[in-house]
Amino acid sequence: MCLRNLLRRRLRTSLCILGITLATIFIVTIGATTSRYTSVIREMNIFFSGDIVVVAQGSIVVQAFPISGGNLPEDTIDEMKEIEGVRTAVPMLVFFGYKLEGVIQPVPANISIGIPPESWAILVGSTPLKPDGRWPSANSSAKEVVVGPSLADQYNLAVSSTIRIQNNDLMVVGILDTPSAILTRAIIIPLRVAQHVYLPTHPSWINMIVVEPEDESMEKEVAENIETNIGGVEALTADERNEIIAPLLSDIEMWNLGIRGMLFFLSMILVTTVAVMNISERRRDFATLGAIGAPRSFIFRLVITETTLIGLFGGLLGILVGTVATLLLASLYTNIPLTLFFQSPFDIVSPVFMAEVLTSTVVVSCAAGLVPAVNAMRANISEVLRSEY
Amino acid sequence: MIVKAVELTRIYRLGSSHITAVDKVNLQVDEANLVSIIGPSGSGKTTLLHLIGLNDTPTSGKILFNGDDTSFLSESERRKTRLQRMGFIFQTFNLLPTLTALENVELPMALAKFSQKEQMGKTVNLLETVGLAERLQHRPKQLSAGEMQRVAIARALANNPSLILADEPTGELDSKAGCEIINLLSELCKNQNIAVVLATHDERMAEVSDVTYRICDGVITLE
Repeated sequence: MCLRNLLRRRLRTSLCILGITLATIFIVTIGATTSRYTSVIREMNIFFSGDIVVVAQGSIVVQAFPISGGNLPEDTIDEMKEIEGVRTAVPMLVFFGYKLEGVIQPVPANISIGIPPESWAILVGSTPLKPDGRWPSANSSAKEVVVGPSLADQYNLAVSSTIRIQNNDLMVVGILDTPSAILTRAIIIPLRVAQHVYLPTHPSWINMIVVEPEDESMEKEVAENIETNIGGVEALTADERNEIIAPLLSDIEMWNLGIRGMLFFLSMILVTTVAVMNISERRRDFATLGAIGAPRSFIFRLVITETTLIGLFGGLLGILVGTVATLLLASLYTNIPLTLFFQSPFDIVSPVFMAEVLTSTVVVSCAAGLVPAVNAMRANISEVLRSEY
Repeated sequence: MIVKAVELTRIYRLGSSHITAVDKVNLQVDEANLVSIIGPSGSGKTTLLHLIGLNDTPTSGKILFNGDDTSFLSESERRKTRLQRMGFIFQTFNLLPTLTALENVELPMALAKFSQKEQMGKTVNLLETVGLAERLQHRPKQLSAGEMQRVAIARALANNPSLILADEPTGELDSKAGCEIINLLSELCKNQNIAVVLATHDERMAEVSDVTYRICDGVITLE
């Protein structure tokens, strides 16, 4: 009955559903994209938690990695090892691939990480490689790399494939088996090779050092010691790295929530308007229902179900189109082919987020029907039946 | 006695003026009686019908339904009484436009929580009784005025009411269809032991009615 009532006013219902759909598309697209950004940023913090990240002073650090700033001479490591409380110090050279085919990308298409072969574990933990793969040999000058699965899929790389970076041919010896957003787009290279490839004129420079304190509780103290004893560096504890990024994450989330709230509010006004119009046109129907003895709760449920159905259809359609739009956007910003995103769309728009948006849309539509439903329920039967002849 | 109105008065307040639509009406409706309330437009017929049908509350006076004073019924009890013991027929039929004839008749039974099987069987019987066995799946806009009124009558009969209230049931019909509806209501009244109260300005109703009241300016007189 509710469906038929909606279909009876096909144009109005369709326009209302379209409105909800558009709002939901925006919510899904903006929400999923920003969630992806923030989750990638948060994921960065998983790396080197409990360790100190040392970078050149003035570098911009997003959680665990410097995204811009100066380099450090590699012999800083020797000074570092002398500092009290330092257990190990691992030099690294990290480059975000913002430039692709000569064009600057808004989102890095890949991340190259140069790390001494004996220290892979500090970066990848126990992440396995896909079958037939192996880690680059201990011979630190071997031009061998391990790549993330997304890069491998995109460029059809397999073990023994060759990739060309800055006019250097590097052989893929392993492909990571990981869902990690960072590692999936990573190129892990022996440090010496990375220095040769990315800094050919300064082959003994690095841009970050990961310091493991002897005792995790000494993290802050060790970081202070490093900054005191070595000039021109910043030693950031996990807490400090979080503090740097916290305002940005909080801003992103606030904007995301604000936009989402505004769109839900607009959707609610739209549904309420349409429901009020529908109800004012059907006053006689409701009065008739009352006259034949329909309980007020039946009339209330009827209106609420209609508005909820509008929300449900609009929400479902919006989530479907919004997911496609999000994948398109992600493909556009990262230059990763759309087909790769379609292989695992739930990595970009999570089912939990979809369920959350659908629930919100349905709840908002349901709430939007409350006032019209109460109006319909309270209609004075005799007055309406007399006046509507 | 099905219904008894005692000193029933309904006054509408429009700004500072008061309009007495029904003025100290006393009437009685007995089982299987066809009672006509005849009067011109604006005489208070519809208001009286809505008061009897518990769709409206009187300013003063009371309605006894099956001997019980309805003044103390809550809104939900009034709705329940209408659903289970009364049927309504309107001048403009008031069928729900999105439902078929079958569904319109099923609706009161569904509201009264009859089983799906009972609803279906009874609905088909009722529509056969009013001569619409071939029109079950038609929507109101696919029916003629006479057919729509027949569906409305079938709907009014759905929950085996003891009282049917009909407000100008022939008002929108041509004279042939009007006669058919009058005859149908008269037959139902006698065959199914249902009391029918008709508000009309159609003088032909006096001929088939058991009791005829005339109403003018809210004041009723027994003919």
